[in-house]
Amino acid sequence: MFAEVLFIAFAALSILGAIGLILFRHPMKGAMSLIVTMISLAGLYALLSAELIFVLQLIVYAGAIMSLIIFIIMFLNIQDNDLPIEEGRYLYLAGGIAVIIPIACFMIKVVKSIPAHQATIVGNGFGGVKEVGLVLFQDWLLPFEIVSLLLLVALIGAVVLAGKRRLLK
Amino acid sequence: MEQTANYLGLIPLLPLTGALVIGLLHMLTCTKKPLPEKLYSVLACIGPLLSFFMALVVLFQLKNMAPEDRFLSHIPFTWFAVGELHVDMGFLADPLSSLMLVFVTFIGSLIHIYSIGYMAGEENYGKYFAYLNLFLGAMLILVLGNGPVVMFVGWEGVGLCSYLLISFYTKDTDNVLAGNKAFIVNRIGDLGFVLGMSFLFWAIGSTGFDFLSLRENAHLLTPGIGFAICLLLFVGACGKSAQIPLYVWLPDAMAGPTPVSALIHAATMVTAGVYMVARFSFIYSHFPSAGTIIAWVGILTALLAAIFGMFQKDIKKILAYSTVSQLGYMFAGVGVAAYSAGIFHVFTHAFFKALLFLGAGSVIYALHHQQNIWKMGGLKAKMPITYATMLIGALALSGCPPFSGFFSKDEILFMALANGHPGIWFIGVLVAGMTAYYTFRMMFLVFHGEARDKQAYDQAHEPPAVMTVPLIILAAGAALVGVFNLPGIFGGSMSVSNWLAPSLVEHHPHVSIWLEIMAIAASIAAVVIGITIAYKKFGHGAEEPEFTGFAKLGYHKFYVDEIYNAAIIQPYKAIGSLISRFFEPNVTDLHVKFSTWLYTKSGKAFKVFQVGYVRIYAIYMVIGLSVMSFFLSQSIN
Amino acid sequence: MIQDYLILSVILFCLGILGVISRRNVFTVFMSIELMLNAANLAFITFSRVHESMDGHVMAMMIMAVAAAEAALALAVVILLHKHKGKLDTNVFSLLKG
Repeated sequence: MFAEVLFIAFAALSILGAIGLILFRHPMKGAMSLIVTMISLAGLYALLSAELIFVLQLIVYAGAIMSLIIFIIMFLNIQDNDLPIEEGRYLYLAGGIAVIIPIACFMIKVVKSIPAHQATIVGNGFGGVKEVGLVLFQDWLLPFEIVSLLLLVALIGAVVLAGKRRLLK
Repeated sequence: MEQTANYLGLIPLLPLTGALVIGLLHMLTCTKKPLPEKLYSVLACIGPLLSFFMALVVLFQLKNMAPEDRFLSHIPFTWFAVGELHVDMGFLADPLSSLMLVFVTFIGSLIHIYSIGYMAGEENYGKYFAYLNLFLGAMLILVLGNGPVVMFVGWEGVGLCSYLLISFYTKDTDNVLAGNKAFIVNRIGDLGFVLGMSFLFWAIGSTGFDFLSLRENAHLLTPGIGFAICLLLFVGACGKSAQIPLYVWLPDAMAGPTPVSALIHAATMVTAGVYMVARFSFIYSHFPSAGTIIAWVGILTALLAAIFGMFQKDIKKILAYSTVSQLGYMFAGVGVAAYSAGIFHVFTHAFFKALLFLGAGSVIYALHHQQNIWKMGGLKAKMPITYATMLIGALALSGCPPFSGFFSKDEILFMALANGHPGIWFIGVLVAGMTAYYTFRMMFLVFHGEARDKQAYDQAHEPPAVMTVPLIILAAGAALVGVFNLPGIFGGSMSVSNWLAPSLVEHHPHVSIWLEIMAIAASIAAVVIGITIAYKKFGHGAEEPEFTGFAKLGYHKFYVDEIYNAAIIQPYKAIGSLISRFFEPNVTDLHVKFSTWLYTKSGKAFKVFQVGYVRIYAIYMVIGLSVMSFFLSQSIN
Repeated sequence: MIQDYLILSVILFCLGILGVISRRNVFTVFMSIELMLNAANLAFITFSRVHESMDGHVMAMMIMAVAAAEAALALAVVILLHKHKGKLDTNVFSLLKG
């Protein structure tokens, strides 16, 4: 019962945060509301007994990535007149919703067709660092290494893109 | 029933590798300083010689097996399998292919060696040997192929090499045109081969499309289809082996280097058609009427080419027509169901014709590319080895006992008579006389009498040993290989025919010994008469005559090239230009123009959507996704 | 219960799409993409819970790593954009316009 109340609260918060992201004109406000979504999602992960992911969500997403975004937003010192003038924003939103509804309906139908499953109580170690780590370094070792390579490439790419360049002329 | 021999695939692979290596070396260095000729010579001769030794191994391995089990196969990989058509890249060595294998590699090796001397100092030395090796590899694939499809690979390969080597001296447009002619005429024949092969597969190929399976199923052919297959395959053979009406390319093919004429256009490639008919003997033996057509085409070709040969003045053209003529004999042989006799003639012909061509090559080499026999004469003293070897070759070609040509040619003629074709026999004997006449006409004009061109005569000399040794070896072969198939009347046991028996389907009729003696006497008489006339006319020197009447007609080859040109090529060109002038702009192009107009207009109409903003394109994508989802969700309940 | 989580995931995902297609602000578009990635993560974790297997968690971690890489690159692009055009409008990218 308590879990259901928590779920509803987190779900409502995350949806509100997402709607805020879409509606706020200034990206700083949007980022703030996205953080709300991220944190409520972290709560949902905790409800799903995913301890490690809960922690990673808070540290990596809500912490690192979002602070990076906010840092860049502040760094660029965005004024109102820097922002694009989006006159037809609500028109686009209405059209977008009209287009999205069939997609949402389809996916919800698919979800509904999945047999109902009551959450059973999982074992003690489910979602812990040790278990995830074991799976990660046994079954997923190669993808893990490839991801490390990807991060390296992204690092180099970011330096190349944002760094000073003479060739661009 | 068949054993595997895993080295069979290597036999064609060795010359092909040689071709690749030499070709690459030549390509990489031809614009810079060319590599030394010795390197190319050694590289070029390794492949054929190794192949020859392996061919001997194959021969002896087969010899040690029971006669009815003499089949060695090697299937390196499945080439492709589509539906019922399952084609292996497979090689089959049986008595027939092993015989071909041995003499092709043997003569091929000798001609490679001869070429070292003949081509010395020529431009594109490396390219020549790359082509020659490629040719040998393709020929070996043709001989060893275990099914029609693999055989066809080799068939096309030798056609390509023939084309490349005919037009080897690319500086002269005539040579290139001769190459084109050979290639195009061969395409006509190949169409027949492909059609025949397709019919064969359609009729009986579904349970296995290799020679052994086809042989087992050959009795299932219905008369109409079988007859059509026989004739279509023969059209292919006509193209490759220069029979009426597709013989016109072979005399022109003499534009290539002389060793090429010896190897490709006399000894090996042009006999591929005979080999193919013998390979398919299991089909041809069911359809004697098709065989009769082949035999008549063959003997008429022999007659026609002999007539042309009597009036030519180019030494290589004479030999070319004699090749066409001898090929006609071979087809007459396989046509009257005397497959082993035909193949034996292929075998002996390879020796003496290669010998004659190489001898002619020596003469041409000595006289600095003079090919007109009316400009030669008296060379006997200057070139004794060439003269002696060519004399043996000429005697063999004429069919003079006891040289090899006599036994093989006589066997064909005798079998024609024995199998009830006296007409073919009669023409054959006539052609034998004519052959003797034109061969010795050439010999007398070249080697006897007075020198007609004093300056060239004084400079003439015997070629180097690298060229004379192959001549001597071939002369020994031309003189002696006849003993392999001595008929009973001469105390022999027909060993080659017996050896070939497991591969072929043929019957040996029993006829009286007097008939045989009569046939032999007739051909000997024809040969003696032919040589005597030639000696009377040309033995003591003669001047170039003015051709009149029939001789003029013969010299101009009955104007067949001109007739083809007027009857086929010109109408074809006229139709082509008509189409290009009227049909194309008004019908085909109209359709194309309409399409382009349609695309331009519709492009303009759709341009509206191409706003250029990535975001809008994302929206299009989502709209598409949305429509898809809408229809998909209809199907989920 | 499981379906509730998945439906939430669907809703968040669709909101992410909506953000991408209806806004022109580069930051908002970028954060909408992050939102879509999060929605996918939620679905992964949910299924992982249903099947009591750790593979979904591993996958979620991979997605986070990819998101981090993407963030680094995308922000670099945004900085470049701002430097050269002084704007944060996706319509600045209009080289495709013929």
